[in-house]
Amino acid sequence: MKAERVVRGCFALSLAASVGLSLVYLAGGSRAWEGVLLAAALGGIAVGFILWATRLIDAPDNVEERREQKPGEGLGLISEVLEQSVTGVSRRKVLAGLASGAAASLGAALAIPSLSLGPQPGRSLFRTLWVPGIPAVDSEGGRVRPEDVPLSGIITVFPQGSEGAGDSQAVLLRVAPDLLSLPEARASWAPQGCLAYSKICTHAGCPVGLYRAQARELLCPCHQSTFDVLTGAVPVSGPAVRPLPQLPLAVDEDGYLVAQGDFSGPVGPSFWNLTQ
Amino acid sequence: MLLRSLLAAVVTTIAVAAPSLAQQSGRELYERRCASCHGPDGAGREGLGPSLTGAGAAAADYQLRTGRMPLQNPQAQAVRKPSVFSEEETRLLVSFVASLGEGPPIPSVDPGAGDLSSGQSLFIANCAACHGAGGNGGAVGNNAAAPSLYASEPQTMAEAMVSGPGQMPVFGFSEQERNDIIAFISYLQTSEAPGGIDIGGTGPVPEGFVGWFFGLTGLVMVLVLLVGTGSSRAR
Amino acid sequence: MIRYVESRLGLDSWGRRALRKVFPDHWSFLIGEIALFCFIILVATGTFLTLFYRPDAAVVTYEGPYEPLRGQEVSAAFDSVMRLSFEVRAGLVMRQIHHWAALVFVASTVVHMCRVFFTGAFRRPRELNWIVGFTMLMLALGLGFTGYSLPDDLLSGTGLRIGYSALISIPFAGPYIASLAFGGEFPTENVISRLFVLHVMLLPGLTIALLGAHLAILWRQKHTQYRGPGRSESNVVGKGLWPYQALLSLGVMALTAAVLALMGGLVQINPIWLYGPFDATTVSAPSQPDWYMGWLDGATRLFPPWEPTVFGVTIPSMFLPAVLLPGLFFTVVALWPFIERRLTNDAAEHHLLDSPRDEPGRTALGVAGLLFFTVLTLAGGNDLIALTLDIQVESMTRFFRLAMFVVPPVGGALAYRICRQLRDSREHPLGRGSGVVLRRTEQGGFEEVPRS
Repeated sequence: MKAERVVRGCFALSLAASVGLSLVYLAGGSRAWEGVLLAAALGGIAVGFILWATRLIDAPDNVEERREQKPGEGLGLISEVLEQSVTGVSRRKVLAGLASGAAASLGAALAIPSLSLGPQPGRSLFRTLWVPGIPAVDSEGGRVRPEDVPLSGIITVFPQGSEGAGDSQAVLLRVAPDLLSLPEARASWAPQGCLAYSKICTHAGCPVGLYRAQARELLCPCHQSTFDVLTGAVPVSGPAVRPLPQLPLAVDEDGYLVAQGDFSGPVGPSFWNLTQ
Repeated sequence: MLLRSLLAAVVTTIAVAAPSLAQQSGRELYERRCASCHGPDGAGREGLGPSLTGAGAAAADYQLRTGRMPLQNPQAQAVRKPSVFSEEETRLLVSFVASLGEGPPIPSVDPGAGDLSSGQSLFIANCAACHGAGGNGGAVGNNAAAPSLYASEPQTMAEAMVSGPGQMPVFGFSEQERNDIIAFISYLQTSEAPGGIDIGGTGPVPEGFVGWFFGLTGLVMVLVLLVGTGSSRAR
Repeated sequence: MIRYVESRLGLDSWGRRALRKVFPDHWSFLIGEIALFCFIILVATGTFLTLFYRPDAAVVTYEGPYEPLRGQEVSAAFDSVMRLSFEVRAGLVMRQIHHWAALVFVASTVVHMCRVFFTGAFRRPRELNWIVGFTMLMLALGLGFTGYSLPDDLLSGTGLRIGYSALISIPFAGPYIASLAFGGEFPTENVISRLFVLHVMLLPGLTIALLGAHLAILWRQKHTQYRGPGRSESNVVGKGLWPYQALLSLGVMALTAAVLALMGGLVQINPIWLYGPFDATTVSAPSQPDWYMGWLDGATRLFPPWEPTVFGVTIPSMFLPAVLLPGLFFTVVALWPFIERRLTNDAAEHHLLDSPRDEPGRTALGVAGLLFFTVLTLAGGNDLIALTLDIQVESMTRFFRLAMFVVPPVGGALAYRICRQLRDSREHPLGRGSGVVLRRTEQGGFEEVPRS
């Protein structure tokens, strides 16, 4: 029968492929051949068995009767057993109540140690490592002068000593000072047109690494929140609501950029009590 | 004797005058091919082309060599296409634009001197957010796109870094850093994907499509064919 | 050998009945089996991977053969996956098969769930099994997310960051829950080893237990069947476990493994060497999660910038799309058997399956729900679609926002109409259809003539 020959061929192919697979492995391995030969070995068995089941054996339809399950039928035995456990006890409800109470409070007591999994957040979401006077450095630890930032350029900076710190990361940009339109209170925050904003997107926390230089907009690649650099990183498009917190900059006597203090607000995505 | 010194004098005059001659015919070429959008003397024209004062040789060489200039559509982003200028014409135009003010000169490039590992980490830190981890490019919003880097040459890549064309920022890399990054990008351009067919190299989205349309659909189709609906199967 | 086991365990009568147990024979009943076999393949390949993986965030220097990363500081976890991929024979194939199997596992689970939904197989007495199955889908999502985050690469680390942000967005408890889950403020060292415990022990353990329950309930209640000659609510018509179903299932398992092996060997997936090790200060674009989390990414991209403040409490912009929306949606899905019972007032037992056209209302709602999820999943790739089609990203976002509201109801209504029409005409949806034929008249015009 034709189907039988096909099935035999499938198993033979599978056998050959398995041998081939072992040889390939012993000879040093090759990702592509390992995949193809493994697929052939498995596929041969697969088609062989499926054709065997569907074409070779005579399996007529059988009929099996279902058990009838009347609703409420099974509960009789269970309630009988439950009854037995409380015969001879005078105040069942109190006993049952206390037993449940004990079990529940034990469960709660055993769950309490899960609080050791992490520290209390405290004020950690409100603070970063930027303090007044701390120099701004690049990822190698080198201090930055305003002239080191090209016009239309972008550098990632950190507080000195904390290079790579996730929560303190900031982008340093330079624009022509006459283009700036920052809020009044931040007039002194951008010496020589140097601006620093938190690099953590206020939407979902991705680093805002994309700078559209001509449009002077920072774009977060995760969900496309766009921030206008000239007006204080106010969101102009996308799902972010809060502007990127700004880092107040100043130039020290040696001409290097330092921070005047921490960011203008909590960095990163919002949380319930961030206005406190 | 007289003839030789006369010849020498003529050659010297030409050699001295050549740069300004070049600027002269560069200016001519500019007036003919570029001034309609960039204005006379590179002053720029409102709505058509920005001023080229201070643009620098690097920017001009980049735009001309990659064929981005002349621009097909002033409203759309410039795209790479075959350059319409010959090597000589490009050189002339570049030196003319360079003379229009202080701008970044053409950077020197030596990918062979670049370190792949430094290049990779610099690339990921500075370039991948726009150009993708695999250098396949990405949309950057507002009708701008960072192009794929697969067709880019080392020279023009270096020029793009120092001149920041379009929405690309200007990067103040050192020469070594530029060489590192370009060496890495060249590696990306020429290396084979270790895992097999790389289906675009843009991550889980094409992977999901392949998983659904090749993996699951393929499996189900085989089952529909071989198993069918039981009783409807022909023997 | 069988006699050996049988004489010691006394399986004679149970074994006889079990081998003759009847299962209906239809290709659509095999989709759940595909999911099961994907899971088995995941456990098998996963065990191999576990023997080489180090769930350790400690910093080491990569000194392997992949040049662009040599000499860089990476976590031990990342280093171990790199070594597995480039230095262990058959390591990359196993890793790729494992990841493809994960994608197909969730896909087949979803399609299986759709089959159960559209044929009404979740009705009494199978409501419990629906909940068990739904829970397994949630576990599958968790397994996938924890799994692809284990290599500690840039792409999956970005996903972890977003997960952290989703947790802190929960009002009142958010910052605490996030700190407990991650062991502090992001990024933390603990999270990799915790993900490992979840991925390798807790979640698979729960899944296996629920899988056992799922199959046991199915065995006990017997499988449902489509209507047909000789079939009724009080019987099952099909083929016995042995030899037919056993051989067939073995074949399907081998087939699933074969397709996954082919994909694992030939098609690259999750090239962590391109993304590089995770760095909290960098991100690459495009950044998407694996497809089954894409709807979450899409929802967060599409939601408008809302961040209301209620009685001094800020409701963060991440909360609605990332926590509330999936919470509500999945609750409805989980409780669907009970919701439908309320809506249709049908408390009877059902063992015969509906054709989707028999219940146009349910089918329409299901189609609408699927379309909603599909729009959200596609929206997760909006920047990639924008790049490919050369369209502005903002336009894609606006399009998907519109589609999110328009496509599900329109699709549902269309499905409803089609169901009614098919039900009335009793045709097969893929058949030729009675319809009409256009015929040229003598005058040169056209007329419609019923197809003979």
